Amino acid sequence: MLASAGVAGTIGRALLLVGFVGAVFGAFAAITGVRNNEPRVIRLVSRFAVLAFAAAVGAFAVMEYAMITRDFSLAYVQKVGSWSTPPLYNFAAVWSALEGSILMWVLILSGYTLAVCFWMRKRMNESLAAWAMAVMMIVLAFFFLVSFFPANPFAAGAPGVLDGPGPNPLLQNHILVMFHPPILYLGYVGVTVPFAFVIAALVTGRVGEGWLLATRRWSLFAWGFLTFGIALGSWWSYEVLGWSGVWAWDPVENASLLPWITGTAYIHSVLVQERRGMLRVWNISLLVATFSLTILGTFLTRSGVLNSVHAFSESGIGAWFLSFFAVVLIVSVFLIGWRGDKLRSPGIIDSPLSREAAFLANNVLFAVFAFIVLLGTVFPLIIEALQNRQIAVGAPFFDRLTVPIGIALLTLMSIAPVLPWRKASAETLQTRLFWPAWCGIAALVASLALGAYGLAPLLTFTLGGVSSGAALRQVVLATRRQGLRGLVGRANGGMIVHLGVIMIAVALGASNSYSKSQELSLVTGTPAFFAGHSFELIDVIEVRDDRSISVKARVIVDRKKTYEPAITKYTRIGMNVGTPSVKASLTSDIYLTLEPPVRQDSGKARIKVFIKPMITWLWIGTGLMALGTVLAAFPGRRRRPTEATSALVPTSEQNAL
Amino acid sequence: MKQNKSVWLGMFLLVGLLLAIGVSRSGSVQTQQDRIDSITSHLACPTCSGESVFVSRAAAAQAIRTEVARQVGAGTRTDDEIVSYIEQRFGGQVLLVPRATGLDSLVWSLPVAALIMSLWFLVRAFSRSRQNKPTAPSAQDEKLVEQALAESMTKLKRS
Repeated sequence: MLASAGVAGTIGRALLLVGFVGAVFGAFAAITGVRNNEPRVIRLVSRFAVLAFAAAVGAFAVMEYAMITRDFSLAYVQKVGSWSTPPLYNFAAVWSALEGSILMWVLILSGYTLAVCFWMRKRMNESLAAWAMAVMMIVLAFFFLVSFFPANPFAAGAPGVLDGPGPNPLLQNHILVMFHPPILYLGYVGVTVPFAFVIAALVTGRVGEGWLLATRRWSLFAWGFLTFGIALGSWWSYEVLGWSGVWAWDPVENASLLPWITGTAYIHSVLVQERRGMLRVWNISLLVATFSLTILGTFLTRSGVLNSVHAFSESGIGAWFLSFFAVVLIVSVFLIGWRGDKLRSPGIIDSPLSREAAFLANNVLFAVFAFIVLLGTVFPLIIEALQNRQIAVGAPFFDRLTVPIGIALLTLMSIAPVLPWRKASAETLQTRLFWPAWCGIAALVASLALGAYGLAPLLTFTLGGVSSGAALRQVVLATRRQGLRGLVGRANGGMIVHLGVIMIAVALGASNSYSKSQELSLVTGTPAFFAGHSFELIDVIEVRDDRSISVKARVIVDRKKTYEPAITKYTRIGMNVGTPSVKASLTSDIYLTLEPPVRQDSGKARIKVFIKPMITWLWIGTGLMALGTVLAAFPGRRRRPTEATSALVPTSEQNAL
Repeated sequence: MKQNKSVWLGMFLLVGLLLAIGVSRSGSVQTQQDRIDSITSHLACPTCSGESVFVSRAAAAQAIRTEVARQVGAGTRTDDEIVSYIEQRFGGQVLLVPRATGLDSLVWSLPVAALIMSLWFLVRAFSRSRQNKPTAPSAQDEKLVEQALAESMTKLKRS
């Protein structure tokens, strides 16, 4: 069986086995070493981490080598490889289907495991670190096993195959295929690190704030990559899919959004625990939820129970992920219950008008948000199981329910950043919110002057104004006090992330509410007009290469530049893919798609024009979020716990002096 | 303080007024295409579950788009009538938005229930916080505070 898969298949599969054994032994060494207090055994852990990482890198390299040399002895290369795929897309073809994407998961997870091991190398004899390593190794072993059995990328293919179809056309016509999946995976898989520390904290009973401080940057790192990966996916969708949208509420998109929602809740509520020691069980639950949602999401989207544009073909992988999900959940819930007495928090919330109360409200909203997305995603499954009929839950459902949540979150973002810990007076609030409130009014007046209408978008713009005022207030005050150092650290970096989020919210509000579209039948030489723009067809041309035939309509927009929306037929797969052409600007994008049927040299073309306001601000906001995340990861100025936070109140004794 | 209050009251009134203006004014005229897009984004593509007819580039979705465009062009049916016409004509499950009847209504009512429950939880957390009077500091606590005070006093005197 192994031999028939050829040299690459045999080596690759052997490496997966080596990696699995390395991970299992690593977990074993960590646990026995720390239980029996044997430094010699504990030192082995890092060796096993290196071994597992080397095996994963090796297996991935073998796969790349097989893909680049078009080794059609492998079933996977037969499925997604082709002589006609350009080199860059061929390199990315490795992660263009199920087996390869699990292999990438293995690679990234083994990288994280090694990184954590290196980072903890001096503290490995502490039980918390050792147990965290053990958890990471166990998760890694599971993924090696999945890659070895149900999602084996090194299985032998049918004999005599000399060429294949290549990857899905959507995965070979935009450069983002190189970046969106790996970056998203860096976030998705990175959640494992804080999860491992949570489990370690529960097992060892060190449930204080130690584990949480230790993993702060890891959580931020994973969250940042998840955010960036999701945004890149939206950009890709916009540039490639041709329906002019950035988010379709597709099950796979939801699967990446769910851990992002709970992760976002976590990076907020963790501050309450650091500062006040409260919400311990809640924070642990959020991390457990975040990790298990990555597993559940993988089950939902990779097992074939739900279909979506991202779904790969069915395989036996479903049972594996569902079982793993169940194990994660049962173990976590058991551990939380077991440590329940130690998790009771010492503090209480003093006032609803305090920062911790705002964080609690934020978390409640994010929890409801996650519930809505999860419910909408799995609801068709529930109905099918109970009543054996098929229903669909799509974008209109999610839009209707999540817009109010978004507006409520914007409201919180307006007030929370100015709230002090413990308790605020109405006066403090009035003083601190004075300028932000005027920012909101200015935003409202400006958007009315520009012709905006409708309650939801107007509320979004107003609250966007208030919340950016509140965020800017913090940054301005901090930079005034500390110069450029006022830009780094959690609070300040976080406010820059907020500014990015607000840009995205405003851009979504505007583009969802005020988009216009029109289909135009163009004839060469006669310009057509829509929404104050002119569109003139020059000609319809055909471009051929090894893998495809493209028909392009060359259209001059506003008598200036030529845009070329196209329809490309991938001949080997027999699939038509439309490629939109976008004239982007800060105020509004003009998005052109070519509508079938279309003939070369006919002098006629039907194009669809979308006018999408403010889309560019989505990408600017994403950049700002990324920048803010980096700034937040730098250590800011921290108050020492013994330092007085307010001036001494003069006592009578002092007055006497 | 009183003056401050009236400023805020004024601000809220201003925002309310401006919002009312913005809500009452109608937007730009809906093109036929906007209507087609809005109808098709409520219809599920029959061959690619999870996507709407508006989003999908599949042939089946294209066929429904053409039919909706024809109906909108004819101008005799309302949006809802077009949806039910498509439902009859193409059969099966074409709606992308679950109905509010039977078991399907759970998808609408559960989120509302979740929201109410979590609001109740918040209110309870806050009201409990108010009942919880701070307990008297223990002797040990008082000692610590005295120590810290004495330390900072000596620092203060030195400076």
